[in-house]
Amino acid sequence: MKDIFVQLEFVTWQSLPVILFCVCFAAVVTIIESSFHMKLVVQNDALVPGFAALLILRELGAVVSALLLTSRVGAGLAAEVGSMKITEQIEALKMLGIDPVRFLVVPRFVACVIGGFLLSLIANLVCLYCAMLVSEAKLSYSSGAFITSMRAFVTFQDLVFACLKGACFGAVIPLVSCYFGFRCKSGAEGVGLATTNSVVVSSVLIIVLDFVLTFLFSHFY
Amino acid sequence: MLKPLLNVIDDIGECLIFLRLILRTAYRSPCTWESICEQTWKVSVQSTPTTALAGFFVGAIMTVQFTMQTKAFGALGYLGGLSTSATVREVGPLLIAFLLSGKVGAYTSAELGTMRVTEQIDAIRCLGANPIQEIILPRFLGIVISSFFLLAAGLIMSIFGGMLMGSVFSGINPEEYVRHIPTIVTQFSIGNGLFKCLVFALILASVCTYKGYSATGGAKGVGRAVVGTAVMTMVGIVVFDWFTSLLSETALNLFREGV
Repeated sequence: MKDIFVQLEFVTWQSLPVILFCVCFAAVVTIIESSFHMKLVVQNDALVPGFAALLILRELGAVVSALLLTSRVGAGLAAEVGSMKITEQIEALKMLGIDPVRFLVVPRFVACVIGGFLLSLIANLVCLYCAMLVSEAKLSYSSGAFITSMRAFVTFQDLVFACLKGACFGAVIPLVSCYFGFRCKSGAEGVGLATTNSVVVSSVLIIVLDFVLTFLFSHFY
Repeated sequence: MLKPLLNVIDDIGECLIFLRLILRTAYRSPCTWESICEQTWKVSVQSTPTTALAGFFVGAIMTVQFTMQTKAFGALGYLGGLSTSATVREVGPLLIAFLLSGKVGAYTSAELGTMRVTEQIDAIRCLGANPIQEIILPRFLGIVISSFFLLAAGLIMSIFGGMLMGSVFSGINPEEYVRHIPTIVTQFSIGNGLFKCLVFALILASVCTYKGYSATGGAKGVGRAVVGTAVMTMVGIVVFDWFTSLLSETALNLFREGV
């Protein structure tokens, strides 16, 4: 139990600044781009908050934070487990009668699932807040008008789905990293290879899973 | 609180100084064409399947998302144009560049970092050759060239992905989907997307060569360099995504006022 909290601190708290920073910039870009498209299609900015909020909640918030989490946490996990494998610490655990999967993987898995959920929630809310600030400054929306116009498009269930997506992405990261870590070949190159592979495979899996989840959730709207 | 911030600024500054060093070497003592082509070929072959797959799925995701929204307005005809425009201008370059930074960036910085900590780079210097010219410059140029084309290929794949999902999920046949692309996607949008690809390729190449070249302290240092590369590239990509969007918007406004 204590392990889970230590991992949760590593996964969530230490990744928070980077993720929030990136998500703020993503919000600014989303507003600029959706204002560009709206001008093209309907000639005014009236629907910008709604579309930007939809794009953020259903897509960008969860995926961007998950991909950042992969490069930070996934690479770290694979390197850690891989080094334990090649220095025979995992065999030592087995000798002591401790199940390495239970000891190493389970706390990280649980922490990443909870962390993915929480990070997705925080990232989405901060991203929306930033989008509101930007549209106040750039498109001269008042915050009230932004929220009213946003509420016409997004509902609470969008936020719930975004958090569920975050939790699913969080589950992918430790599974892939620990798999590659446990199969790590000996030597420093083996660890490097395991790290690179785990980052690539989990990023691709996140995008594919995002597609599957989007498809699945689209039946509930 | 202040120390991590200072470290970040230090990192950015050193990366820029390293970039200047690379460019100066490229100007004064350029490397051979063969070495650049070799690196370009290596990177392209390694990463084409990943990028193509990612591009395909990004396009498919955007189509599914836009279907729900355009259906609500009864404007399903705009689907092809809207989702292609959003993918090419914004989401496509961003997500595919994220994947490339995991693939190309991590591989290159691990390779260079291993060379560094096993003192192969010092050995090259001992032999009287310039390691920047011999090792870094071909990789830098190779990554820039191949990432740019890989990103562009990913964008093309995303159109195919969107087309497929358009006919499977939202019942729009491919001809209809493609017919509406030129009504919304202008040459300017495509230029904007390609400009983004070029900027992301430059960021990726300079960060991963810098981090790999400056790795210190054994296998652990290589691991640190790899993680540092991935994080720094992604943050750089997001920041410059904003910057290029702002730039293109300003350019577009100037253009409109001019006409």
